[in-house]
Amino acid sequence: MDKIDLCIIEALTNDARTPFRQIAASLNVSPDTIIDRYNALQEKGIVRGSTIVLNPKEIGYNAMAVFMIDISPTEDGKTQFDSFAILETIIKMKNIIVASKTVGDHDLMAIGVVRDFQHLVVVRDDIAAIPGVKDMEVSFWSEITELSPKYFVI
Amino acid sequence: MWVLWKQLLIYQKEQTNQSGGIRIQAKLDQIDIAIIRALQKDARASFVAIAKSCHVSVDTISKRFKKLKNTGVARGTTVLLNPKSFGCDCVASFGIRSDFSHIQEVLEFLRKIPDIVFSTQTMGRHSIIAIAIVKNVAKLNQVREVIKGHSMVREIITSIWVSDILLCPSNFDLQTIAGDV
Repeated sequence: MDKIDLCIIEALTNDARTPFRQIAASLNVSPDTIIDRYNALQEKGIVRGSTIVLNPKEIGYNAMAVFMIDISPTEDGKTQFDSFAILETIIKMKNIIVASKTVGDHDLMAIGVVRDFQHLVVVRDDIAAIPGVKDMEVSFWSEITELSPKYFVI
Repeated sequence: MWVLWKQLLIYQKEQTNQSGGIRIQAKLDQIDIAIIRALQKDARASFVAIAKSCHVSVDTISKRFKKLKNTGVARGTTVLLNPKSFGCDCVASFGIRSDFSHIQEVLEFLRKIPDIVFSTQTMGRHSIIAIAIVKNVAKLNQVREVIKGHSMVREIITSIWVSDILLCPSNFDLQTIAGDV
């Protein structure tokens, strides 16, 4: 990555819809250069994509919750539960915004947005209903509901 | 990069204070939802294409997008970066328990640590949840020791995120809100 790449990233982090012409003008290069560089950044996986940043509170989501999930080691003592399959199920659930396998006290971790306390219970029960989910710890908060996905994508 | 996040955090606090806790919920219709869905996939999606799919004019789309930003439903648009490309290999979350009377003190302490990108007071198992993005596990351990060193921290549980973190911004259930209109 060089100065041009970093300038593109900086401009697009602040506003992903910044016209390439504008970035090109500020760097004294051609718009084509910027387009090529942006495409290369995406191909290399440095930029995973672009997205709109929503404010959950404005659309009725008043709280966020983190679910720390334990998975039973085996099913009826024989076959092992596939934690990846469980992760896939969780990430496809509505209102879950990020999930990952973790090393530490728990096996999986998911963060979701919820409308209210009742809704939190519904989401919790939905996760608990997935076969293989043994135990779960829930913590929730309403102070900050910032959805800035870029900090979660690896 | 992380600095921007903190700015947003402060911005949100100001917003909450101004409205005095009472929030008027924005109402969205199908056009708003179509715009959000398209931009969630690709923030640079052309308004012409979105306009076509909604059978409205391009002007309508750009006006609606401006309105979404002005009403605060959308903060803006951004690119999704890969921390590994910037030398940050390790993401971890901390569940922290501390004395009730000192939670704010601990939070302020956490927010001064540059590697912590997110921290909040929670209800439930832990008093505080924090997320750190660091170079490697050794550095993570340093951060953990620093937090542990605070006299009001009673317990700290670390979870290192190992898989490719799956993120689904499109999981936002917008239809239920549209139903209120």
